[in-house]
Amino acid sequence: MMQAARSMTVLPWARRPLPSPSAGKGGGRVVRQRLAVSLLLLAATPATAQEAIVTAQLGNAVEIVDLATKKILHTIPVAGAPAGIALSPDRSRAYVTRPEGHGVTVIDLESQKVLSELGLPGGPLGVGVNPKSGEVYVADWFAERVFVLRPTPEGVSLEGEIATGKSPSGIAVTPDGATLLVANRESDSVSVIDVASRKETRRIAVGSHPFGLTLSPDGTRAYTANVLSDDVSAIDIAAGRETGRVGTGQRPYVIAFAGGRGFVTDQYSNTVTAFDPATMRKLGTVDVGDHPEGIAATRDGNTVVVANWGDNSLSLIDPTSLTVTATIETGDGPRSFGDFLR
Amino acid sequence: MKFRTLAAVAALATVTFAAQAHGPTRQKVSESIEINAPADKVWAIVGNFQDGSWIPVVEKTEGKGGNEVKATRTLTLKGGATVEEELAKYDAEKKTFMYRITKVDVKTLPVNDYSSTVEVEGDGSKTKLTWKGAFYRGYMNNDPPPDLSDDAAKTAVSGLYKASLENVKTKAEKGS
Repeated sequence: MMQAARSMTVLPWARRPLPSPSAGKGGGRVVRQRLAVSLLLLAATPATAQEAIVTAQLGNAVEIVDLATKKILHTIPVAGAPAGIALSPDRSRAYVTRPEGHGVTVIDLESQKVLSELGLPGGPLGVGVNPKSGEVYVADWFAERVFVLRPTPEGVSLEGEIATGKSPSGIAVTPDGATLLVANRESDSVSVIDVASRKETRRIAVGSHPFGLTLSPDGTRAYTANVLSDDVSAIDIAAGRETGRVGTGQRPYVIAFAGGRGFVTDQYSNTVTAFDPATMRKLGTVDVGDHPEGIAATRDGNTVVVANWGDNSLSLIDPTSLTVTATIETGDGPRSFGDFLR
Repeated sequence: MKFRTLAAVAALATVTFAAQAHGPTRQKVSESIEINAPADKVWAIVGNFQDGSWIPVVEKTEGKGGNEVKATRTLTLKGGATVEEELAKYDAEKKTFMYRITKVDVKTLPVNDYSSTVEVEGDGSKTKLTWKGAFYRGYMNNDPPPDLSDDAAKTAVSGLYKASLENVKTKAEKGS
């Protein structure tokens, strides 16, 4: 079960168009599927090292960190307190929000250069990308809306906006590209939005002040980190309701999945809480750096990466043993709120 | 005397945006001072959560719960303003504690969601005292006025820390 679950966790990274996989070896159907996924991933990324794209909010920079050598490869100046991040479906671009500079910066990750900038009103913070269309959704922290941006060869253009609850924060899109989910921090709810009509179709009550929102690897469930009620809510997307909760440390912030387990950063406890997303039971805690915020799993599901805002570092966690295997220094105030591993 | 005196706009901001989220960019400040006294002596000055007298603007400390986690205290400042705080972590062996402000007027200190850590690191007859804070600016909405900006918050906290650390240094180095 664990093995199957682990291979599932890497599925979101296999969304880019890929050639058909060659037939896998092995007996059962599950094993064949797993091998197929592995082969897909190998085919997708034969030479690229695993990188973390870090938004150093107080340092006004975006850093590209090589997780293998644990070195900062490139530092790209980005003014305006860069915070949120999402990558294009082909992982060649980073969309970075600037809540103080009021806009989005598009970074070409191949050339490590700023491609363009788009000014936006309000406080752009949460950001997500549609895995099918490549559309970019940016939440306005100070309002009740999500901006819709269309990718262009030069960068992005503003297409429109979608009404949400108050202080929209974390954003996720289902693997089929049809449904957008937004955590409404000040409304204690999640907006379920039909991408085609750009209309909210449902609002689901969750815990107090949901900030991060992450989908299960198969895209059927959404999980919110509820910063004031110190717990994580599980949502059945099809049923449109909360199905369970698990207690966390203080001020849970963002969630990631690896090896069939859920991981949430506890901003005030300086820990990551591991939980079972099926039973919503706590599995343990890992001590990380000061004020952990952004969290994500590597493609192979073998490492969970945490951005520690307070002490300017990344913690690398082994999701099986629940131990920190490495710490990497970053610029000032790393947040990496969103999908930040390439 | 207050931590910091601000324009009338501050009061307005408190009323108007009290129910809203904090700003999008948390700030941090860290100040340290080297003291020519052993760590035990410095810890004796700063290490009791129920005694905030090492902070120069504090006139009175009232609280309950001693130095246990979730202990509370109310600092009354010279001039009458109050700050309510709660202890989040306390480690006498490592000589460090962390607490949060649970209630303060931005006219008193222009911050929101403030937490801070005091650390005492001994090295023989010398001690390094560090006071670190993490907080959001006083103005919760977009495009803050100058008096409630990120910079205003950092300046106020940094000034408070420096004055307090200097005060502890003077106290610790003076006595035997």
